[in-house]
Amino acid sequence: MTNKKVKFKIYRKDPKISNDYRYDEFDVPMEEGMVVLDGVNYIVEHYDSTISVRWNCKAARCGSCAAEINGYPKLMCKTRVEQMGDVITVNPMKAFPLVKDLVTDVSINFEIDKKIPEFTPKNMGKKPWTIYDIDVNRAQEFRKCIECFLCQDTCHVVRDHNTKYIGPRHVIKAAALDMHPMDVLDRSESLTKDMGLGYCNVTKCCEEVCPEHIKITDNAIIPEKERAADNMYDPIMMLIKKLKNKSNRDKK
Amino acid sequence: MNVNDFKNKYIPSEFLEFNPRLYAFIIMLIVGLSAFLIFPVKEISGYIDPFYSPTIFILPFVGLYRLTCYAYRKDYNRHIFKHPIGCDLKNRLDSMKRTYTGETSGLFKIENLHRYFLYVSILIVPFFYYDFYTSLFINNIFVFRLGSVLLLVNAIFITLYVLSCHSLRSLIGGRKDCYSCMSYGAGIKNLYDKQSWLNKHHEQLAWISLVFIIFVDLYLRGLTAGMPLDITFLKL
Repeated sequence: MTNKKVKFKIYRKDPKISNDYRYDEFDVPMEEGMVVLDGVNYIVEHYDSTISVRWNCKAARCGSCAAEINGYPKLMCKTRVEQMGDVITVNPMKAFPLVKDLVTDVSINFEIDKKIPEFTPKNMGKKPWTIYDIDVNRAQEFRKCIECFLCQDTCHVVRDHNTKYIGPRHVIKAAALDMHPMDVLDRSESLTKDMGLGYCNVTKCCEEVCPEHIKITDNAIIPEKERAADNMYDPIMMLIKKLKNKSNRDKK
Repeated sequence: MNVNDFKNKYIPSEFLEFNPRLYAFIIMLIVGLSAFLIFPVKEISGYIDPFYSPTIFILPFVGLYRLTCYAYRKDYNRHIFKHPIGCDLKNRLDSMKRTYTGETSGLFKIENLHRYFLYVSILIVPFFYYDFYTSLFINNIFVFRLGSVLLLVNAIFITLYVLSCHSLRSLIGGRKDCYSCMSYGAGIKNLYDKQSWLNKHHEQLAWISLVFIIFVDLYLRGLTAGMPLDITFLKL
């Protein structure tokens, strides 16, 4: 334990009581290796037990403690206090409705998930299927997603503009399904027409904030945009696909 | 179609906002392109200026390749159109008050055809190597000079930039879902993985190749102005 103290400014608001918000300030003794979540828990334990904060694993695996720390979307449990300066401001994720203080309601994401056409396997005979590494290692990256929704929070389309764009987290889910070797659907067209993929302007903030370092834009959003271009914008590719489909139908 | 309908359909709202960054960019483009046309430097001492190779009239296609490139899209959407300027939530300069249509409206829809500008760029790349080759001979005498080194480095940077393209990544295998179901699937996946490694550096290559081609152009303009910049390493 050092004698150094860090000032925490915690966002306080209870929408059930009032629409006003304030920042409460606390001095927290700094310890070596301390993360922001330790600081917030210290405040709850020693100063004000009415602060609402959601956390679970404290190991950057559950994604529960997502917040905006000094204006940047981060996991509280993965953000070292010593790297954040002498004043640490903790806000809830502003892209989602506030429940209280640092807790937001992210349930809309589970509703959006339902819009994505589910895994639709081709008829491959008896299970278990044999699946090869070279077919699935691309989509493995997307499985690392811990659903912290920091990417949704930082996405300016989701946050600042009222569009039908479902957001980066959900595009990686669709991409993981599209790249699955057993899946027969191509979701790129519905992603573009119904789920607003075209609103993404590839500014890559989602990649920047992802605690799992998933290359969301390069490996999911852009490949889906390219697939959508194949299906909707590229006349040569559209013609090739049409002829291919016709020849497949004729064979049958 | 009245003026308002035309505006809504073809002109993204970003172009109608007061935006000094955009005006500065447009002025730079106009000044740059005018300078190329008014002060051409096609060839000097056996070196061909890369901006004029094979012809200056190809420049709009190359320009569109860069303008629709995913790497530059990130940069101009952030730093010119401020949608958003950064991921720091305090200073992103984007807000609900601003109209936003992303890549769904008129002019920006052309970004979906990036691959066609890629095809043109792939066709142009060999000319840079040809220019390097021709720069090695003056009156049938082999000479190896600093200018040739610059032309070769420029050709390599442009090749790497073009080959690291996201559209090419999709074209050579990214759009496939099952490599083990295809003939030569392992080879295609291998090629895709190699290109994906290069693709990770696409943004750096985009800027390095742009800065370097401008540097080569300025170097050749310096030679034209009579500056003693060239060094001969070998003459046979």
